[in-house]
Amino acid sequence: MPPKTTSKKPPAAQSQQTEYQAIAAKFAAAKRAKEAQDAAKAQAAGVTKAAGGEATAKKKEQKQQEDRVSLADKQRAALEAKRKASFESRWLWTAGFWVWMLLIHVVGIAYFTSGFLLTRLMLDDKSVCDAPPTLNTSINGAVDILPNWKSKGTVDGGCWHPKTFERAVVVVIDALRYDFTVPVKDDAPFHNAFPFMYDTALASPNNAVLRPFIADPPTSTLQRLKGLTTGTLPTFVDVGSSFAGTAIEEDNLLMQLRDAGKRIVHLGDDTWESLFPGYFQANLSRAYDSFNVWDLHTVDNGVIEHIFPLMKRKGEWDVTIAHLLGVDHAGHRYGPDHPEMAKKLQQMNTFIKDLASNIDDDTLLIVMGDHGMDSKGDHGGESEDEVEAALWMYSPKAVFGRTKPEYVTPPATAKTRPVNQIDLVPTLALLMGIPIPYNNLGHPIEEAFVGPRGNAWDKLAAAERISAAGIKRYQTSYFSARGIEQATTTGSPADLWEKAEASVPTGKVKKGHSWEPVFEAYAEYQKETLDYSKSLWARFDVKNMIIGIGIMAAGIISLLVYINKRTEDDDALVIEDSELDHAEKSLELQGITADEGHYLEKRLFRAAMLGAVPGFFGGLLQSYLSGNGDWYRGSAVGAFTSVATVLVALHDAERAFFNVLPNTLWGWMAVVFTVSQSIGFASNSYTIWEDSIQLFVMTTFGIATALSAFRMESLPDRYMAIYHSILFVLLGRLASFSKLCREEQMPYCTSTYYASATSSTSAPWQLFIPFVAVMILPSIIKAYLTPSKSYEGLAPTWIGQVFRAGLFFSAVYWVLDAADNGNWLPVISSRLSAYLPNSATEALSTLPPLPEKILKTLSVYTAQMILGLALVAGSTAFVWAPPCISIVTTALRRAPSSKDDPLAAIPGAQQTAQVTVLGYGNAHGARYLLLPLNFFVALFLVSKPMGAGALALTLWQSLSLLEILDLLSLPIGSNPIGPIMLAILGQSAFFKTGHQATLSSIQWDSAFIPLYSIKYPWSPILVVLNTFAGQILVTIMLPMLVLWKSGPKRRGILGSVSRALAVFLAFYATEALASMMWAGHLRRHLMLYRVFSPRFMTAAITLLVVDVVALLVGLAGVRVNVMSVAEVFGWAD
Amino acid sequence: MPLVDPVTMSSSAIVKGAVGPSASATKATPGTQGTDSATASTTAGTSSSLATLRPVHIKQTPTAQTVRHALPAALTALYLLRFDALVADPVPVMRNSLPVVAALQMTYALLCLPAAGEPASKSNRKPRPGEKKKGGEIGSSTIITALLATVLTSVVTPFLYFAMVLFGAPFLTHGSHTFLCAAHLALLTLFPLFYVHGVDSAAWAAVAGFRAPFDETFGGLVGGLVGAWLGAVPIPLDWDREWQKWPVTILCGIYGGYLLGRVLGGTLFWGKRF
Repeated sequence: MPPKTTSKKPPAAQSQQTEYQAIAAKFAAAKRAKEAQDAAKAQAAGVTKAAGGEATAKKKEQKQQEDRVSLADKQRAALEAKRKASFESRWLWTAGFWVWMLLIHVVGIAYFTSGFLLTRLMLDDKSVCDAPPTLNTSINGAVDILPNWKSKGTVDGGCWHPKTFERAVVVVIDALRYDFTVPVKDDAPFHNAFPFMYDTALASPNNAVLRPFIADPPTSTLQRLKGLTTGTLPTFVDVGSSFAGTAIEEDNLLMQLRDAGKRIVHLGDDTWESLFPGYFQANLSRAYDSFNVWDLHTVDNGVIEHIFPLMKRKGEWDVTIAHLLGVDHAGHRYGPDHPEMAKKLQQMNTFIKDLASNIDDDTLLIVMGDHGMDSKGDHGGESEDEVEAALWMYSPKAVFGRTKPEYVTPPATAKTRPVNQIDLVPTLALLMGIPIPYNNLGHPIEEAFVGPRGNAWDKLAAAERISAAGIKRYQTSYFSARGIEQATTTGSPADLWEKAEASVPTGKVKKGHSWEPVFEAYAEYQKETLDYSKSLWARFDVKNMIIGIGIMAAGIISLLVYINKRTEDDDALVIEDSELDHAEKSLELQGITADEGHYLEKRLFRAAMLGAVPGFFGGLLQSYLSGNGDWYRGSAVGAFTSVATVLVALHDAERAFFNVLPNTLWGWMAVVFTVSQSIGFASNSYTIWEDSIQLFVMTTFGIATALSAFRMESLPDRYMAIYHSILFVLLGRLASFSKLCREEQMPYCTSTYYASATSSTSAPWQLFIPFVAVMILPSIIKAYLTPSKSYEGLAPTWIGQVFRAGLFFSAVYWVLDAADNGNWLPVISSRLSAYLPNSATEALSTLPPLPEKILKTLSVYTAQMILGLALVAGSTAFVWAPPCISIVTTALRRAPSSKDDPLAAIPGAQQTAQVTVLGYGNAHGARYLLLPLNFFVALFLVSKPMGAGALALTLWQSLSLLEILDLLSLPIGSNPIGPIMLAILGQSAFFKTGHQATLSSIQWDSAFIPLYSIKYPWSPILVVLNTFAGQILVTIMLPMLVLWKSGPKRRGILGSVSRALAVFLAFYATEALASMMWAGHLRRHLMLYRVFSPRFMTAAITLLVVDVVALLVGLAGVRVNVMSVAEVFGWAD
Repeated sequence: MPLVDPVTMSSSAIVKGAVGPSASATKATPGTQGTDSATASTTAGTSSSLATLRPVHIKQTPTAQTVRHALPAALTALYLLRFDALVADPVPVMRNSLPVVAALQMTYALLCLPAAGEPASKSNRKPRPGEKKKGGEIGSSTIITALLATVLTSVVTPFLYFAMVLFGAPFLTHGSHTFLCAAHLALLTLFPLFYVHGVDSAAWAAVAGFRAPFDETFGGLVGGLVGAWLGAVPIPLDWDREWQKWPVTILCGIYGGYLLGRVLGGTLFWGKRF
């Protein structure tokens, strides 16, 4: 749109006004003059016709004229106030509607999640020392394999099996992967740094055993500790409580130890304290913060400092648990392939060596990893590297044996002879003489029971049998509690149990009887039961899943109908015709207005409430009356009833329900892109390769718009459209070079996000990427504003200086961070001293040393400053900024007017001036752009250098997308393609900023960018900003689809934005619904936890984040923006 | 002054832009030839020609009609015969088959299609006295047009290669795979269009904007592009099939789509527009 020109009187004196008021005043004056002129013209035409040139009449006219002008002023003020109030109330109703939609999404997702994330029935039964499980499970009576031992059935002698040790020291080295502990022929820093355990196991096999230790996923520490103490399988629902750390109520090792009167000391990770509150000797225990992954040494040094004195005070404890976090934190912070990891492992080597030399004959030392780490040092999933930990048991007295001589050498990889982590539970319980926890599913580790000579099969068989009997007892009560029949077919656990029992000889047993088959029979029973339980506890609440899916689907249907409903009534209604505008205004003043108080959103919101409230309370009442206690049923019923009433309200609004199919090529493209991706989630391949598919889709769109541009008649427009289309595609391809491969993509994918595939730090060359963005991005944004003359007002200062400074300091932050991680300062100073003359070096060394952690301090302050600048100062500036326009007045000499000229009636009209409002045509868009830019700075900071570059390209792409849509005339009213492409752009930026739909790709360290330690709620917010940077950016950009190239006279902005938002959210809601449906449908699929379940969680959280950001930032920004523009130019509707 | 053909204005001296002058020559002589409306297809105009761009008629000679049906069959046969070898080792197969496909397309163009600047269906018309009979036989000018079309085809191939990279084809590896695939795409879909339309910008704007009417050439283009696009769909699947390797599925899509588009464009959809 060209700059609007209008004539007005020479500018009046304006002295101490603010810029804002000045612009408003200027424009108002110009407009008034224009209207007065128009009115005068009309008047004069009539006058000249009727009365000719009578002087008295003219004077009268003039008087009337002035009266009319002042009356018009008053009327205008009243009208403006009315329109403003109307806008504000309409905004509230619209926001209310979107809050309702958010609630629908929350309820739908929560319902599905409650049925999908696995639950296991918890039994309250506890094992008791003098009641071995063989009592009630054994088929052929209480035949014992072992002869009675001294103090049988008591803790002193061993409850169910002869006791071996008095005390135990359990050392958990978090994330100790198996290959860290065995010799590997390469130079990786994480290999061969921790040889002590391997060497002792090899040199003195009777004293030490080293075996791979396989975790049951999910491999988060809290889940693992539950497994390691209860001996049962984790379920996914526990992950949700991973951050809150709730106490374990099930029977577990520590509970048995405590009940047996053992004193337990705990050192290290405070997760233990939250799982076992009150279990530990308060005077000896030391707990340390577990989530501070930035800190490699505090926990380890604390444990090492306190554990050695304990070894001297043997009378004060029976079990010591030490949990070290340094290896895990080094993995999270640097990845395994880093010198820090080697240092950490060497430290552990020394520590375990020293500890072993302090252990006495009655004490068992166990060292283990609770899980492994993937190639980047993260964990949580179920890849091989994540589940393969190491287990080492040690005692100075000869206890351990091998059933075969070749087992003396610890396995070279974790694939051979692995031990399940739950197997530690019966092993430790039997060695310590306490009962095996009731819910245990593991079986004893053979090395600990087969005797130093490796031939005590009777003891091994007895241990195996007692734990198998425990499993049998547990299974029986579990099945009866759930009311399920156990299968008795051949090969079923029940069948195997009978066979194993039958293999136990009755009556007098001959000396030299072979107990090995008995052991094998029980071991087979245990293995089968474990497999069976794993499949059994993949038990889903299908009803809740279907309700959740139903709510989400109903929400999407109402979104689609809402989108369709608004097809006609909005869209680019620009009233430039001042007479029509005037006529409308006078109608409004007389109170005859078209839709006063009848906004669609108002009706919808009321309908939603009308449905939700009775539904909610009805559901509550029903669940109360039926007495089955699912009080949350009310929310589901409320969701359904409110969707129903909203649909009815939409139907009342005279809209056919089935008219939702698109009618243009672009509309179909939007549908195909959305639906094909949703269908693709049914296949693990398409889910795994989603990043490539996003690129393919975006390129398809760009090529289609470029080809479509050939249909344009105007050659300049055609070339601009082709240029922007190709730019859009090129930038997308360029950004796609930044990627982080998920494990399943290997070996067809190369990660570029970090310095190497086994690191989580950036390469030095990547630090330059943000600086490149600093140099070019502000100029690029300027280039998009200049054609519409919108680089005016606050824009040059804000974009050219503040925005640039924000980006610059973000880039500096990452340099500081890299210097801190890479320990550059000592390196630099040592290099320097090599070049400097000796005197200079001496002079340098006399300087006071730099304070400890100076770099971290500096970078934290930098980050806090940037966030303050971007979010606090930025939002303030956005609220107060005048539109990005400026008013230029140029003198315009009029030809001397004739006597008949009606303008002669207006004083000073002869010396009119040309007033040009620069940026008029893009008044809405240019101003609103400041808001996404502010948030961009924050997102730019929290993304690592590679991701920051990808985000900058995404911003650039989104600006090109705006231009393409504008040039091809694909306004949001008639076409859903704009919001859909923006949504796809955001989704694709998610992958380009180093994320994948897997738990292990979450960049937890982003929580520490502006902080030293975890602080709620800031840390989770930072992780969300980092993870969903792409989606958040495009969500804030979304209103630009409506506002870009919109002048002040554009009507129905709020309606159009709301509609664009509906399309945009429909995309994300469809993705969430589809991933939900497929995850539910494929709940027995092998890849459920690796592929489908993480994809569902990603989609669900994305949807909620987008909902909230759209509401709190997008809609609020539109409100501020429209009011600011209207304050200057007057209300358009 | 070199000798100039009075009808096509083409001569051995005109190397650059042989099609352009010939187009203007056709425009200059509509009166003499103008019984057939298909001549309008080569009139170089501005936007008005978008509406008047006519579908290409296949020559009516028996040879042309035979070749028209035989060649798709030949291409299909070639593709099916070489498929196993293609899956085993794509690059040599694509490279060695390129001249064969080029020869087949060349034959098709020369025998069946009206060359750029040449009125389409001259065989319907009696040769006037003194004028050389042109339609049924292959004149030197049509061969030049065909050669120029070949040159143009090879010129656009790098752009197609680049477009494939933009769609996500490997950038640093598999260069010859992608390039040969682009060459096949260009040879199949763009070569006939270059032969028919030359460098007539208005015609090309219509083709690029997908406003051209369907005929064998345009149908082939649409089919080939859609086929190549759909060819990417099976690649990510974890079926571990040998034929999922790059760029076998794309090439398969290109051939399948092109042949289908060419046949449908020449029959069922002929003359229709998007």
